[in-house]
Amino acid sequence: MSDKDEIVVAVRNLKVGYGQNVILQDINFQVREGEVFVILGGSGSGKSTLLKNLIGLYTPLQGEVWIEGGNLLAARDDERRLLLRKFGVAYQSGALFGSMTVLENVLLPLDELSPLPEPLKELVAFGKIKLVGLAAAAQKFPSELSGGMQKRAAIARAMALDPDILFLDEPSAGLDPVTSADLDLLIKELAHRFGITFVIVSHELASIYEIADRVIMLDGQARTIVAEGHPAELRDHSTNPWVRRFFNRQPDALASGFHL
Amino acid sequence: MSDAKAQDDLDTNLQFEPPGSARVTLRGRLNAETTVPCWEHLEHGLQGAKLDKLEVDASGLRVCDGAGLALLRYLNMGRMTPGASVSVSGLEAGLEQMFRAFTEEDYEAFHQPTPAKCHPLPEEVGGAMRQAASDLRQQVEFLGSVAGSLLPTLLNRKRMRWREVLRVFESAGANAVPIVSLVSILVGMIIAFEAVQPLQQFGAQIFIVNMIGLVMVRELGPLLASVLLAGRSGSAFAAEIGTMKVNEELDALQTLGLDPIRFLVVQRITAGIFLTPLLAFYAAFLGIVGGMFVALGLGYPLQLIIHQLTSAVHLRDVVLGTSKALVFGAIVSGVGCLRGLQTREGPSAVGVSTTRAVVTSIVLIVIADAIFSILFFVLTR
Ligand SMILES: Nc1ncnc2c1ncn2[C@@H]1O[C@H](COP(=O)(O)OP(=O)(O)OP(=O)(O)O)[C@@H](O)[C@H]1O
Ligand SMILES: [Mg+2]
Repeated sequence: MSDKDEIVVAVRNLKVGYGQNVILQDINFQVREGEVFVILGGSGSGKSTLLKNLIGLYTPLQGEVWIEGGNLLAARDDERRLLLRKFGVAYQSGALFGSMTVLENVLLPLDELSPLPEPLKELVAFGKIKLVGLAAAAQKFPSELSGGMQKRAAIARAMALDPDILFLDEPSAGLDPVTSADLDLLIKELAHRFGITFVIVSHELASIYEIADRVIMLDGQARTIVAEGHPAELRDHSTNPWVRRFFNRQPDALASGFHL
Repeated sequence: MSDAKAQDDLDTNLQFEPPGSARVTLRGRLNAETTVPCWEHLEHGLQGAKLDKLEVDASGLRVCDGAGLALLRYLNMGRMTPGASVSVSGLEAGLEQMFRAFTEEDYEAFHQPTPAKCHPLPEEVGGAMRQAASDLRQQVEFLGSVAGSLLPTLLNRKRMRWREVLRVFESAGANAVPIVSLVSILVGMIIAFEAVQPLQQFGAQIFIVNMIGLVMVRELGPLLASVLLAGRSGSAFAAEIGTMKVNEELDALQTLGLDPIRFLVVQRITAGIFLTPLLAFYAAFLGIVGGMFVALGLGYPLQLIIHQLTSAVHLRDVVLGTSKALVFGAIVSGVGCLRGLQTREGPSAVGVSTTRAVVTSIVLIVIADAIFSILFFVLTR
């Protein structure tokens, strides 16, 4: 907002993977405050893996991740807790707590971590649930919700503490076009008006054109970032054939001269 | 009357004029940190004041997050100033929209109490009876479909998936050997020690060997083996199949045209039936060894002990033990699978199924054991 060009997420020379199995390497990028930053890539290219390394769930094989000037990996316990409060995460599968209702799920971080007085906590939770359009399902359990509703509930929980940064893994997968467009609107609103930074993993081309300020494109074969920029720009001007194909939704088979 | 309090980033100004009305002016950042002192400040200032009008001027807010919005909503609903008419003004357009989107009706809707589930006693009893009856029905149905598909599947080599049977054999049988050994030896020794004293009164200590032999082969071998199997593997079957049910894997099997009974249950029951007699024999053997240690400790020569043993345990005891073990094995593996298939939705469903698997198995084992004892008594009289 005031200092719009401040860098809130910085990734340097990151190498991620599982044990000996390197999934991505030479990853470098920076995300500025209030930006909607989208991580793109084919299925299995390592988007979720990268995200989990960014938020400190996995330890990178090499390299550094800085969030709001703090290094999550090197941080000591109390410093780490402060850092953790600066961002919210919505996982690909939702990861709601199954034994709690939607409302209780959203209230949990507030109850545990927020200094707000009780009646306000409840109002904050109501507000977030209303924001994602789940007001009618607040008292339901996750197992009683559809996949898309679970996803929205997870976003509401991620927003509960009003974090500066939101990490969303495929927020619009499993949503109908209308709900998905609503979510896009919400993301844009939160980013541009409230200065919340978004790091989003997504496949939805329509939504990417709508919301993304900048995208990076991962490639499972090259195991690194193959393109970076504004989506429209990449679609029209990228020199990388795979990137152009992705944005124009051309199948692999056509490109390699195979005809159905 | 006016007071102002400068916070880090937020300026809260509370004015009481004209009399009977108050005006709150907020300036700066209203976020999670500044909302708390602001709340305290307002609550302190507004407490007890008789107001019929409260105006909140938010035009000076540079930042207002979810916590700030919650405070404004709280004020707007008149929670801090009961009876007063409240107006919030000056919010920036986007915030205003978000602020207005949440109405008093929404708040009420959220607070709708969920209807408490409390049933009168007759209803409870009736429900429990119906539950028990439908459970019994399901057990019979299950028994029927297992019996129906056991032979055809066994005869069809490809369908049988022997590899799966072997896997169950290993995890439920081979891996259970250490615990079965420990428990059986100790139980054998415990029984021997407990029996020594009463038998001593008649000078008949040597008969502990006869007793251990009979008890272990006819009763405790099969019982120990199958109870341990229920705890280790019946529960595992229920958890495996229950998790598959929760993950919609069973639905996937069905839509692929594969019957879960043929695909999952038959293998486990086959393994259970073959496995339990082996484990039962092993348990009986080690239990007898445990008893023999005690007899040796009492000073009886090994030869005498073995002689006593062979004269006490006959073929029909072994047959009885084996048939018990076969039935118990079928019960444990069948109940484990059934409870897995019966798993419902929800987070605790798999846990409930595993518990039910173990409890039902043990109850049914004891019932079957009683039937065996009565039958055997009547038949050999
Ligand atoms: N727990 C794990 N252990 C080992 N390898 C894994 C694990 N999780 C994922 N992988 C591997 O890492 C690679 C990247 O997986 P990841 O889940 O990050 O893909 P993704 O880009 O998020 O795909 P999708 O769009 O389908 O969600 C895949 O090749 C996968 O096989
Ligand atoms: Mg993924």
